[in-house]
Amino acid sequence: MAIVKMSEFSLFAFDSSKEKLLHELQKFEYVHFLNLEDREDISDLGLKKVRVPEKIVSVEEDLAKVNHSIEILSKFYKKETGIAAMKKGLETYTFQELEDEALRIEYLPMYENVNNLWKKRDAIRQSVEKNKGKIQELMPWSGLSTNIKDLNSIKACELLIGTVPKKLQDKLTDSMMDSQYTYYEVLEEDKDNLYLIVMSHNNEAEMIKDKLRTISFSRVQLHGEGTPRDVIKTLEEENANYHVEIETLEKEIEKMSDSLPKLELAYDYLNNKKLRIAAAENFMMTEKVNVIKGYIPTDKEADFNKRVEDVLDNTYYLQLKEADKEDIKTPILLKNSKFAQSFESLTSMYALPRYNEIDPTPLLAPFYLAFFGMMAADVGYGLIMLIATFVVLRMFNLSENTKKFVRFFYYLSFSVIIWGFLYGSLFGGIIPLPGLFDPATDYNTLLILSIVFGLIHIYFALALKAYVLIKDGKIKDAMFDVGFWYLALTGAIVYLLNIVMDLPPILKTISLVVMIVGMVGIVATGGRDATSIVGRIGGGVYSLYGISGYVGDFVSYSRLMALGLAGGFIAGAVNMMAGMVAQKGIIGIVFAVVIFIFGQTFNLGLSLLGAYVHTIRLTFVEFFGKFYEGGGIGFKKFKTEPKYINLK
Amino acid sequence: MTFTEFIVTYGGVFFAGLGIAVAVFLSGIGSAIGIGIVGQAASGLVIEEPEKFGRSLVLQLLPGTQGLYGFVIGLLVLGQLDAGMSLAHGMYLLAACLPIGFVGWQSAIAQGKTAAAGISILAKNEEHSTKGIIYAVMVETYALLAFVISLILVNAVSF
Repeated sequence: MAIVKMSEFSLFAFDSSKEKLLHELQKFEYVHFLNLEDREDISDLGLKKVRVPEKIVSVEEDLAKVNHSIEILSKFYKKETGIAAMKKGLETYTFQELEDEALRIEYLPMYENVNNLWKKRDAIRQSVEKNKGKIQELMPWSGLSTNIKDLNSIKACELLIGTVPKKLQDKLTDSMMDSQYTYYEVLEEDKDNLYLIVMSHNNEAEMIKDKLRTISFSRVQLHGEGTPRDVIKTLEEENANYHVEIETLEKEIEKMSDSLPKLELAYDYLNNKKLRIAAAENFMMTEKVNVIKGYIPTDKEADFNKRVEDVLDNTYYLQLKEADKEDIKTPILLKNSKFAQSFESLTSMYALPRYNEIDPTPLLAPFYLAFFGMMAADVGYGLIMLIATFVVLRMFNLSENTKKFVRFFYYLSFSVIIWGFLYGSLFGGIIPLPGLFDPATDYNTLLILSIVFGLIHIYFALALKAYVLIKDGKIKDAMFDVGFWYLALTGAIVYLLNIVMDLPPILKTISLVVMIVGMVGIVATGGRDATSIVGRIGGGVYSLYGISGYVGDFVSYSRLMALGLAGGFIAGAVNMMAGMVAQKGIIGIVFAVVIFIFGQTFNLGLSLLGAYVHTIRLTFVEFFGKFYEGGGIGFKKFKTEPKYINLK
Repeated sequence: MTFTEFIVTYGGVFFAGLGIAVAVFLSGIGSAIGIGIVGQAASGLVIEEPEKFGRSLVLQLLPGTQGLYGFVIGLLVLGQLDAGMSLAHGMYLLAACLPIGFVGWQSAIAQGKTAAAGISILAKNEEHSTKGIIYAVMVETYALLAFVISLILVNAVSF
């Protein structure tokens, strides 16, 4: 259990050697810079903040370009998928290797090429769309066997083409009734519109136009050479040619997609470069000298010293000192055994510890393990977890974080199996196992067991509180805030046990006395921070009222039994349904297998999810609530999390 | 046969059956509404970011457990069902079903709303979406307590 010890450094170096220094420190990786702008003691000295906006912008531009190329190429790149790809995983590089590799990649010319091809393709696709639109417009008029140009060449008549809403068809017939020199024809109709051609002698044309206007006639202008059918044909031929062109372009892009891995490498490199340049914005400077402050792990001091010396020769000033215990700015890096490491994500999900606190990860891990198993409790489910996680860990090349997450479930699977045996449950009892408890009848025992687990959990949390207080030299506080509570709680519990069980009467008296001593102690000391007598008594009584919170805490642990039971019953119900169906012949058996697999998978997912989150709740609320504050700042390593590779 | 006689003779199995119905339908309705609420919120998210489907599904599942608790209690009462059971026994079983029925119903809706709000954490800050799950689980505590009491009641008294 450990929070890594930190050293605070102050470094003065010439601005000219800044880049070299940052470059070396990025290789070193374990540096956490302090932003000096909000440090009054330094900004009052009249120093300027270091600013490097142009450089950042130029890297960001490169990044955007590389990212755009990646987006395009990944549409064409044939990635290995499935198990083979997972087995291979992401390639691993050290920072040096990444840089050497990335500097050899000419990503900008690649971008230009890809982008040009892509733009051309887009332009052609737009033309195709435009043609498609034209074809759509002409489609209804394809029955017109005249050349479009000739439509307006009749001198004595006016020729109108356009649409009329279909629901006005009757009105159209009406309005055309009394015309003498007008011919009209419905060329085509769809669900909304009629497509009309109207030919009217000049004498009558104006009147007909007016009439048409009243029935929402909207005129259409046709364009093109030849008959509508001819025009459509030409457009379609044009489109076919375009498609060939697009295909050639896409083939060319596809050929370039081999360089996708290189671009991905460049992307990860550029992201690190951006971080490196941006880091300088944490510094302050005089005319020529940069002031740099930050933290490094104490055990890496020697390495750090050497690297700085190598880069800067003698032209620097470096001071190292132990990090301030009380300063909340001291960054937190956790270091745990392989087992406890898997549970670090839980700690950081709540809040990282402060530098003067203890790392609760190894302390919560055993309880988490036990509680998770009790809630999921099934030999079958546990075995599935165990095999799945084992295979994944063995066969696949995973990133460090995924590996931790999978290992987390690998450890949990053992607990699930053990509790499964205790409950005698294999896929909800499909094969009867002789368990220690039968959840269906022994739920009272299990309930008591849950509360006892709760008791141990909470007592342990209180002990940790006492430990933290004593470590800080506050022995009196440990006595008042933990000791009295131990007395009050233990006394109360034993006293209550007297009511349900036959205990020797002497125990009853002792427990009563212990409880009262504890409670009086709490009332007397709970409000010791207050200044007035009334405030002290009030505060004390209020502290004692906190005992109702403990009752709530203990009850909360009944979920250990409830979730285990619910999961078991649901699995049992699935088996029951499958069993009923299975009696109906061969088809029945097929259905039974489907019901069994689907139902059990569903319940497996639900049980694991339930166990995962409910154990988190017990840890965060009931356990952490007693002793843990948190709120530390995470140690930011001087590298970015790569997207396409593993960085060592 | 007077009405009273009828009730005394056949009422037991009727009330026990009513208990199963109450446990299953109330908690089932609640879960359905809760899951529906989260589903609506999640659909909006998946339009933009389909890759978050898996995580949104986890949030959507959360209000579903109440229905399952009700189902389990219903199943347990089903095991005690008997045509000749006494009126007192039947009414007792009905009473035993009430906690999970009512609490399951309302808590699933409340949990659905909380989980739907968790969807916005998933949308804007995916890293912290587990916290949304935990908020929703806080609500479930009370459904669990009701489930425990129903479970104990069903088996506590033997007639």
